[in-house]
Amino acid sequence: MASKPMPMKARGPSKSEFKDKEKPAQIRNSNIVAAKAVSDAIKTSLGPRGMDKMIQDGKGEVTITNDGATILKQMKVLHPAAKMLVELSQAQDAEAGDGTTSVVILAGAMLETSQKLLVKGFHPATISDSLLHFASKAVEVLESMAIPVDLSDRSSLLKSANTSLNSKVVHEHSGMLAPMAVDAVLKIVDPAQDSNVDLKDIRIIKKLGETVEDSQLVDGIVFTQKTQGYGGPNKMEKAKIGLIQFCISPPKTDMDNTVLIRDYAAMDRVLREERQYILNITKKIKAAGCSVLLIQKSILRDAVSDLALHLLAKQKIMVVNDIEREDIEFVCKTLGCRPVASLDHFTPECMGSADLAEEIHAGGSKFVKITGVQNPGRTVSILLRGSNKQVLEEADRSLHDALCVIRCLVKKRFLIPGGGAPEAELSVKLTQYAHTLTGMDAYCFRAFAEAVEVIPAILAENAGLSPISTVTELRNRHARGETHAGVNVRKGSISNIIDENVLQPLLVSTSAITLSAECVRSILKIDDIVNVIR
Amino acid sequence: MKAEAEEERSETARLSSFVGAIAVGDLVRSTLGPRGMDKILVAMGRNEGSIEVTNDGATILRNIGVDNPAAKILVDISKTQDDEVGDGTTSVVVLASELLREAEKLVSMRLHPQTIIAGYRRATDFARSALTDSALDNSSDPVKFREDLMKIAKTTLSSKILSQHKEFFANLCVDSVLRLKGSGNLDAIQIIKKQGGTLGDSFLDEGFILEKKIGVNQPKRIENAKILVANTPMDTDKIKVFGSKISVESTAKVAELELAEKEKMKGKVQKILKHEINVFINRQLIYNYPEQLFADAGVMAIEHADFDGIERLALVTGSEIASTFDNPELVKLGRCDLIEECIIGEDRMIRLSGVPLGEACTIVLRGATNQILDEAERSLHDALCVLTQTVKETRTVFGGGCSETLMARAVVDAASHVPGKEALAMESFARALLMIPTIIADNAGYDSAQLVSELRASHAEGKKTMGLNMEEGIVACMNEVGITESFQVKRQVLLSASEAAEMILRVDDIIKAAPRKRTADRGHC
Repeated sequence: MASKPMPMKARGPSKSEFKDKEKPAQIRNSNIVAAKAVSDAIKTSLGPRGMDKMIQDGKGEVTITNDGATILKQMKVLHPAAKMLVELSQAQDAEAGDGTTSVVILAGAMLETSQKLLVKGFHPATISDSLLHFASKAVEVLESMAIPVDLSDRSSLLKSANTSLNSKVVHEHSGMLAPMAVDAVLKIVDPAQDSNVDLKDIRIIKKLGETVEDSQLVDGIVFTQKTQGYGGPNKMEKAKIGLIQFCISPPKTDMDNTVLIRDYAAMDRVLREERQYILNITKKIKAAGCSVLLIQKSILRDAVSDLALHLLAKQKIMVVNDIEREDIEFVCKTLGCRPVASLDHFTPECMGSADLAEEIHAGGSKFVKITGVQNPGRTVSILLRGSNKQVLEEADRSLHDALCVIRCLVKKRFLIPGGGAPEAELSVKLTQYAHTLTGMDAYCFRAFAEAVEVIPAILAENAGLSPISTVTELRNRHARGETHAGVNVRKGSISNIIDENVLQPLLVSTSAITLSAECVRSILKIDDIVNVIR
Repeated sequence: MKAEAEEERSETARLSSFVGAIAVGDLVRSTLGPRGMDKILVAMGRNEGSIEVTNDGATILRNIGVDNPAAKILVDISKTQDDEVGDGTTSVVVLASELLREAEKLVSMRLHPQTIIAGYRRATDFARSALTDSALDNSSDPVKFREDLMKIAKTTLSSKILSQHKEFFANLCVDSVLRLKGSGNLDAIQIIKKQGGTLGDSFLDEGFILEKKIGVNQPKRIENAKILVANTPMDTDKIKVFGSKISVESTAKVAELELAEKEKMKGKVQKILKHEINVFINRQLIYNYPEQLFADAGVMAIEHADFDGIERLALVTGSEIASTFDNPELVKLGRCDLIEECIIGEDRMIRLSGVPLGEACTIVLRGATNQILDEAERSLHDALCVLTQTVKETRTVFGGGCSETLMARAVVDAASHVPGKEALAMESFARALLMIPTIIADNAGYDSAQLVSELRASHAEGKKTMGLNMEEGIVACMNEVGITESFQVKRQVLLSASEAAEMILRVDDIIKAAPRKRTADRGHC
């Protein structure tokens, strides 16, 4: 018994030594393969001629989309490295909103290059270092080719929104959605502090029915609820709008309460008092001059009882029920009113006023629209329409991307050409720069410079052009100094892409490069996958 | 013995503890040093599939479930190291496992474990005195001391994900730790993680950031704020007796009672307003009605600040958490110069600047993925821990394998004067110490045998500041490269590793108690 383990012990360390050299390489390889598989999966959706993906989730719900972040989110990947790429695209979504596909493709290309370098015997740390160097140099090059833009330059903003929308399912409506996005963002930009915009101030309301073309930018607010109460007004001009947070229903205390009824007369009295109580409230509301009443949703009791609705309708007050508590702030900001939490505070000063509040019938549903708000806040609503749910959802995502693009321009007011031009320029400039370096760094640099050419190559491929001849021609043009030459997908050739009005914000490209470099570096540094119990 | 109880004796027991401990050491050794690699931890069980990418020895070891008792001891020392000093969690495990690897050889040479232990103990003493002699103390000179702190922070960060931005983060850490003014209260440093941007976009905010929203219609910006921090229900003060109930005879009475409840709330708000405050922060929800009352009074009310947030807030604003409001003069109010909204990433937050506790600050981390953010937070935490330790124990030693070589030499020198078998154990101890620079070099992909022999030779010549420069893969003077570590961390690594090794060596019998019988559950179902 004692002698048996001895030879095992002698072999033990040598075996582990052997494994030590082999295992990290395998792990790294499997990480790279998994991550590349992810980027290959969404490759075909890049660019204006990119294809859409139809995704069916576990419940059988179907999503049709072209948006990289959405595809990846729905894919439910299992491999840990692949998961990091999914998060990468979400980070790009948060940071720039657009370019979620390109960032993953870039990361995939960088990983492929790293794999080749690893086979050649480069240490992962060396590759990682030079990748960081590469990313910072790339940002410099991108900044050097950027064109400054002013927020008052509407046509430039339109062009960049158009570029973003062109690759989406709803691109035929880009002529209408692009100005909508531009107007919406410009409306909420605060001139005093215009370095950032909060997109939560733009509310997108989706309503099934009609077509995308019937979508509209509403200068005011839209509620998806219909008006309550039978016989009440559906349209109110010169509306006085009150927003209440208390309930118009029989009183209820926070403690349990019971009403004891001993005889028939008492029963009658209770009914009468209840009616009197509600009538009293509605009268006070009317007395304050309110004509449109918005009521916050309540979970403790009915926000508004049938009796109250009836009485309010009689007094010609329009009622919109079930306003979520989270929305209160937005509603207040838009209408310039103040929420009222108790009846005593319900005064004319608390109310906002608007030119028109009306209920609109659209298809099978109704919604309430309030326009012409006096002293409005910096908010805006967009009403999206679509003939089916998929189109509507996709239109929403596309519009969000377009809004993000404009927001990027507010944050960082520079445009660069699209259509693969920046990537081609990067490749040429950085290859030149690599010649000035020495050692391992120079080698890695050149390899990565070649890797970024993947974007124009895939753009061309998706458009049915020959990727090799397109990329080589592009490289040639850029080497001759045509900084703005890019893949013109519509004409199927290489041309000055600025003439084609294909522009995108600088921030999208720079953040794509830096984020993907950061992600690739952290994947390269991994040498083991450990299963843990938690 | 009872059935199912297991016993492993002498040789087998020792063997199984050696194998377990060495396996744990092998698992984490590749994460050591500036070019160490990371590991992906994939969770099984409850939150299956969630992943974590880390380089931190303590995090890796905490998460792997080990069965081997010796391995468990190593996991524990790494945990202790994390709690005590915060850094060196990998080194301590690697050193202990190398000590055991050497001990295994000695045992097979028929040395008695007690002899090995005696030798290890002597070696530890010599190593410690050598380390203490080499320690430098710059605490008298604030400029130099800050430089020292910068170097330590950079050394700690260089092995982590933040290595590429180490200059920046080192500055961040040193600034925030120096703000603490030696109190070492890491609670005052808040770390907020926000996805998006790159690590380079992270920043230090000299104030306190609260991830909450200001109530509707209330001032969004307040200067010279007087803050009341409270933990009180702001719905209705109802009687907290189970089953309390009101019986009335008419609806009008119910309405009256409702009104009375409201009045009570109003009374409470009035009481709170009597404190002459303009900011009210509550841990619990604030309902619509009190919110409006506060809005009418022009007071900023922030609801639902979580528990962690509220305690920290009380600390930094210098207030106390109030829950009764009858004696305004007794309640300590918090103050700060300015409260305003700010946007970080996509979210709006509330920033409190100019807080009286000048120590407080917030570090906002940005990064591409959640994994990066989590790892960055861990790295930052390590660096902050080490720095606070250094502020307390100001001595420093050189890193990069320099101190290990120094100690190894001292031990070998001493061994040559020791007659008897203990000398063998001491030499083994020195070899184990030298494994640390060897592994560092190996991980960086350099020729470790060459580098370590060069390193040893230069120490023999008396150049006691030489260490490994892993940027270029050469032996260089650590003073010039600026690789410095905290004396406290190094000493703790040495002592806990040798203690753990000794403990495992002493074992000659492992008894596993019989598992408790699981009986079929005959409860009603």
